[in-house]
Amino acid sequence: MEDDPKEYRWETGYEKTWEAIKEDDEGFLEASVADIIQRAKRKRQALKHGNQKLGMMRHLYILLDCSDSMSSQDLKPTRLLCTLKLMELFIEEFFDQNPISQIGIIIMHNKRAEKISDLAGNARKHIKHIGSLNRTSLIGEPSLQNGLEAALSSLKLLPSHASREILVIIGSLTTCDPGNIYTTIDSLKQEGVRCSVIGLAAEVHVCRKIANQTGGVYNVILDDSHFKDLLFQHVDPPPAAMCLESSLIKMGFPHQINNEGSEEPLTMCMCHVDSMDESSSKLTTGGYYCPQCFSKYCELPVECRACGLTLVSAPHLARSYHHLFPAVNYNEVNFENQTSYCFACQKNFGESDKQVYACPSCKKIFCIDCDIFVHETLHTCPGCATNLATFQISH
Amino acid sequence: MNNIVLPSEKTPEITSTDETSLLVIILDSNPSQKTLRDNPHVLTQCVDSVIALANSHLMQKAQNKLAIMACHSKTSQFIYPGPEKPLDVRQIDGQYEAFTIVEKTTKHNLAKLLLSENSTVITESLLAGAIAMALCYIARIQRTKPPGAKLNSRILVVTGSGSSASQYMNYMNVFFTAQKQNVVIDVCALDQHLSLLQQGCDITNGLYLKVPQLQGLLQYLLWVFLPEPPVREKLVLPPPVKVDYRAACFCHRELIDTGYVCSVCLSIFCKFSPICTTCHTVFKVPAPLTVKPKKKKIKI
Repeated sequence: MEDDPKEYRWETGYEKTWEAIKEDDEGFLEASVADIIQRAKRKRQALKHGNQKLGMMRHLYILLDCSDSMSSQDLKPTRLLCTLKLMELFIEEFFDQNPISQIGIIIMHNKRAEKISDLAGNARKHIKHIGSLNRTSLIGEPSLQNGLEAALSSLKLLPSHASREILVIIGSLTTCDPGNIYTTIDSLKQEGVRCSVIGLAAEVHVCRKIANQTGGVYNVILDDSHFKDLLFQHVDPPPAAMCLESSLIKMGFPHQINNEGSEEPLTMCMCHVDSMDESSSKLTTGGYYCPQCFSKYCELPVECRACGLTLVSAPHLARSYHHLFPAVNYNEVNFENQTSYCFACQKNFGESDKQVYACPSCKKIFCIDCDIFVHETLHTCPGCATNLATFQISH
Repeated sequence: MNNIVLPSEKTPEITSTDETSLLVIILDSNPSQKTLRDNPHVLTQCVDSVIALANSHLMQKAQNKLAIMACHSKTSQFIYPGPEKPLDVRQIDGQYEAFTIVEKTTKHNLAKLLLSENSTVITESLLAGAIAMALCYIARIQRTKPPGAKLNSRILVVTGSGSSASQYMNYMNVFFTAQKQNVVIDVCALDQHLSLLQQGCDITNGLYLKVPQLQGLLQYLLWVFLPEPPVREKLVLPPPVKVDYRAACFCHRELIDTGYVCSVCLSIFCKFSPICTTCHTVFKVPAPLTVKPKKKKIKI
C-alpha cells in the first residue's frame, strides 16, 4: 500500500479484518485474532530472500516530533510517552540485529531541531537520552526541514560505503519550515539518504513525498500495537541504495592479552576515562585492547578514540550474517497426518492444526509457532541443521 | 533459638515455589566419535551418568522438568519424553516411578536410534541443529506454561566430538537466540577442546568444562552442572577461561588482529583485495594506490 501514492489507507483491504474474524467453539475471538497476526508475519517473511545486497553498515537518524501535538492522548498515556517506550524497545532490538550500525536522535520542537544524541553504536547511551525526554516541554510546531537538514549535515560526512537513513516519527499535521522543503528533499535524494516516515495522526502529503522521493516507506499508525509493528519493520536492514559504494573497511579484532603467570595491571578504559561518575570510572583488569594503539575499552563494538579503528568481535559480524543468509521459507501444506508431531518442538498435531509447514530442503514438518520462531528469531532451520546432507545447502 | 537466622530467607529468588527449571540434555551418541570408537563401553557409562544427573535434577524440586536429546550426524531426536506415550511402569525396588520412566524411556529410545543408524563413519555430530531443536522445544514450553509461572531453561551439551567451522553460522544463530531467550548453554566436553561451543557458553553465561578424566564423569556432572545458574555464583567452580573472539579470515582461515571487512557481505580478509571472493563485489581501490604505479610505468 506504500508504493501506490493514489491509494489511501482507508481504501485498502487491510483493515477488513472483521470479515476474517470468526468465533471459535467456545465463542472466543482470541484464537482468530492471533491467527491473523501470525498470517501477517508469515506474509512479511515471505518477502525476504537471500543473496540481496543490503545496506549492512547502517547510520540511522531518528527525527522525533516533540511538538505540542505529541501531548495528545489518543495513544495511552500520551503520544510522547508511548513513543518513547516503543523507542527504547526499538533501539535495543536494532542494536541486537545490527551490531555494527549507529543511531542518532534529533528532536523537533518549537520550529527548531535539537540533536540530543550523536551517531553512536551504544544502545545504553541512547536509551538514557530517550528516558530523559519524558520531561521535555512539548511546545510549538515541528519543523521538518530543520530536522532533515540537521540530520543531513551529519550524514553527509560519512564514508561512501555507509548506508544513510532517516526515520521521522511525526505526530503533527503541519510543519513550519524556513525555506522550500523540496530543495531539502532533492539534496537528501542526491546524498542517497533513505528517509522513512511514521505518522501518528493522519496522512500528510509532504511526508509521503519525502518517503517516495528518497526510497523510504510512509506509514500511518492505527493503534499502539500497529505502531510497534511499523517501527520494528525498520530493524531489518534495507536493500542497499544504488549509489552505495562498496569498499573494504579496516577493522580490528581485539583479544585479551594473556601473559602467563603475571597478573594483569589495573588500567582505565577509554570509554569511561572522562566520566565523572564514581562507579564507572574505576581501574579494572581485563578489557579489550585496540590492536593498533593498545587503548583499552570495556565493551565492543566501538570506534577507537585514539586511532579511529573500528573494533568488533567476530560474533558481532556473525550476528549480521542472518540478514544475508536467511533460513529458507517453509511451504504451507494441508495437514493430512504426514507426521504426528512437529519436528522441532515435539508438539502433537491435533484437530486444530489444519495447516502445517514443510521445509523445502529437508522436508521436515513444523507447526506454525515453530515456523515463526525459526524465521523471526532462530534463522536456522532445525531440520536442515541436524542432517549432514542438507545443512550445507540451506546457506 | 531465636537468634538463629535461617539462610534460606536471604535467597527467596532461588527457592520460590512457582519457578520451574527445565533442563534439556543433549547427549552426543554419534557412534563414530573418537572416544566411542576406541572403547564402545564408554557410551554405557555416559548414558548412565547422564540419567543419574537427569534424575538428580528431577529430585531437586517437584516442578522441575527434563528433556533428553540424542544427537547424531544424520538426525537428532528427543529420547525423553519420546514421541510415544509414556511407558506404564510399576514401582521397582522402591524407586520413584518417574525415575524408572526416565531410565527406561531413554535407554529404549536410544537403543532404537542406534540400531537404525547405518555404519557409515561420519565423525561430525551436528550439535548446532540439536541446540536449535532444543530452543524450539523450550520456546513451546515457554508459550504453553501457565500464566504467572516462571520458567528457567538451560541446555547441557555432553559431547565427545570435535567442532568444525562448517557449522559456524548455525552455532552463532543458536547462541544469540539462546542469549535472547535467556537460555543458558552449558557444555561438557569429553574428549577434545571445543572452541566454538566455548564461545557459546561465554555468550549465554554458561559453563564450559573439558572433563579431565572420563571415569569421573558423573562426579563432574553432579558437581558442576547440577546446580542452577543462580546458585552457581555461591560455589567454587572451575574458573571461566578467557575466550578468544578473534576472527578467522575467509582467505587463509588464520586468526587475525586487524583485517578488512567487505561492506556488502561482511566477509573478513587479512589483506586488501580488489574483489570480494564471497559476493563478487568490486571494491573502490584507494586512489593513491593505483595512480602512483601507473605514472611511474609511463615515465620509464
